[in-house]
Amino acid sequence: MSNDGTILARKIGKSFGPKTVLKDIDLEIASGEICCIIGPSGSGKSTVLRCINGLETVDSGVLKVNGEDFGYYETDTAYHALPPKKLAEQRTRVGMVFQSFNLFPNMTAHENIMSGPVLVKRADKKQSAKRAHELLASVGLAGFGDYYPAQLSGGQQQRVAIARSLAMDPEIMLFDEPTSALDPEKVGEVLAVMKQLAKKGMTMVVVTHEMGFAREVADSLIFMDDGYVIERGDAREVLTNPKEPRTQAFLEQVL
Amino acid sequence: MNAIDPALKPRLRRRSTFEFVAWVVCSLLALGILISVSTNPNFKWGVVAQYFTHETILRGLMLTIFLTIASMALGTLLGLALAIMRGSSIKPIAATAGVYITIFRGTPVLVQLIFWFNVAALYPNLAIGIPFTDISTAIDMNALMAPITAALVGLTLNEAAYMAEIIRGGFSAVGKGQIEAADSLGMSGWTKMRKVIIPQAMPSIIPATGNQVIGMFKETSLVSVLGVAELLQSAQLIYARTYETIPLLIVASLWYLVMTLLLSYPQSKLEQKYSRTTSRLPRKAKPVVLTDPEGIAR
Repeated sequence: MSNDGTILARKIGKSFGPKTVLKDIDLEIASGEICCIIGPSGSGKSTVLRCINGLETVDSGVLKVNGEDFGYYETDTAYHALPPKKLAEQRTRVGMVFQSFNLFPNMTAHENIMSGPVLVKRADKKQSAKRAHELLASVGLAGFGDYYPAQLSGGQQQRVAIARSLAMDPEIMLFDEPTSALDPEKVGEVLAVMKQLAKKGMTMVVVTHEMGFAREVADSLIFMDDGYVIERGDAREVLTNPKEPRTQAFLEQVL
Repeated sequence: MNAIDPALKPRLRRRSTFEFVAWVVCSLLALGILISVSTNPNFKWGVVAQYFTHETILRGLMLTIFLTIASMALGTLLGLALAIMRGSSIKPIAATAGVYITIFRGTPVLVQLIFWFNVAALYPNLAIGIPFTDISTAIDMNALMAPITAALVGLTLNEAAYMAEIIRGGFSAVGKGQIEAADSLGMSGWTKMRKVIIPQAMPSIIPATGNQVIGMFKETSLVSVLGVAELLQSAQLIYARTYETIPLLIVASLWYLVMTLLLSYPQSKLEQKYSRTTSRLPRKAKPVVLTDPEGIAR
């Protein structure tokens, strides 16, 4: 299995019933690249992310994650959906962080982080526990292992959620508006963990409204509206000198 | 400026005229019933006392308890299987569970019990064998469907349909985000069910199951029509001999009442424990003192 970390999309289309949410999306994300996706709500940013992780299936186009066709295998005539086991295996290599954290409330922070390695990869419990300990410390939550999600603040929960995804050693991390459900005070602590992760060379795709984060950390930036990629390019370039009028209008509103 | 007197005067609840009327009427009614029940000789309270701990009655009670526990346990297991089948993405499996639930919830338990008792009329012999081999045995259905077996089969199959709906309701109460989180970690369907969905569905399933147990306890009285000597049938056997119908029915009713009250205490405890407000915090949770979370966080 290649240790890849790239995402490649060609003309991805996706619709929910009569509503088309993604139209001819092209993506090209290199290994170690930090890509931010911005745009108004309902523009399809989250759906792109959910496709890369297999929470949604694409209707048309080609999607390669880590260099492999994602969720499907290709034959001469068609793309066939992979059996659940193969799909699950591909998913273990793509971490996902949700807007609403989605920690398992029936498990402690420690158990949440161990859930992936132990329940999915059948890894050694002792080693996973040790790893979970290190991961907790790396997101600044050493000593919080025995806390249940309900006992943690939003920012703390989100950092545990990041640690839980990292425990699977994914090549790619996806963030779906990771700070949108947090109160302003807690946004910083989550962004700090993400910046730290970016420095380590993890491929990251971040759907966000944090323009400051995009400017500071992102390599590339994609602006989406109404299911289309309107503009893409170097993050700082797009943020300071947007070419498309739609991008200009959006940035004027949010900056 | 009026001076405000901060003296602690008690604050009184409003009492309407209706409240006083209700007190009087209900008290009179209760008194009347009590006098009637205690003075009417036809109640034969002496006979009630005599038979309350009679051996036949106690044996019937034991059988009732056994039927309740056995049919609830088997029905819950089968119900869990049905609930999982119902949620399957494979259409025929989901449809099979759906049809089962529709049939068993849509027909009276009493009819189902009599049906299973008489199933030998449909299938006189039950043949169990391995296909394409000569290995097989045939069981006489009439012998197999003894009253107690029929009672157990009937109650279990019926209960399974209800439990399936309760469990399915519990499953659907688990947030979509939880399932997505499990999926994105690459959990298999079975692991997801065991570690994420079932533990989180429990708070809504357990109290409802407690209600089913209480319901089942009384439902077992229906199997008396099959001649199973459970509590009610035991009472009937005695009054068929002594013609003391009402006292024996009171004996049976008192036992049902006692058992229901005994069961409703743990039931209310369960409901409290799994009530909405506490369900977020699993009972294993240790009390924690947040001393310096930010300090550690940084």
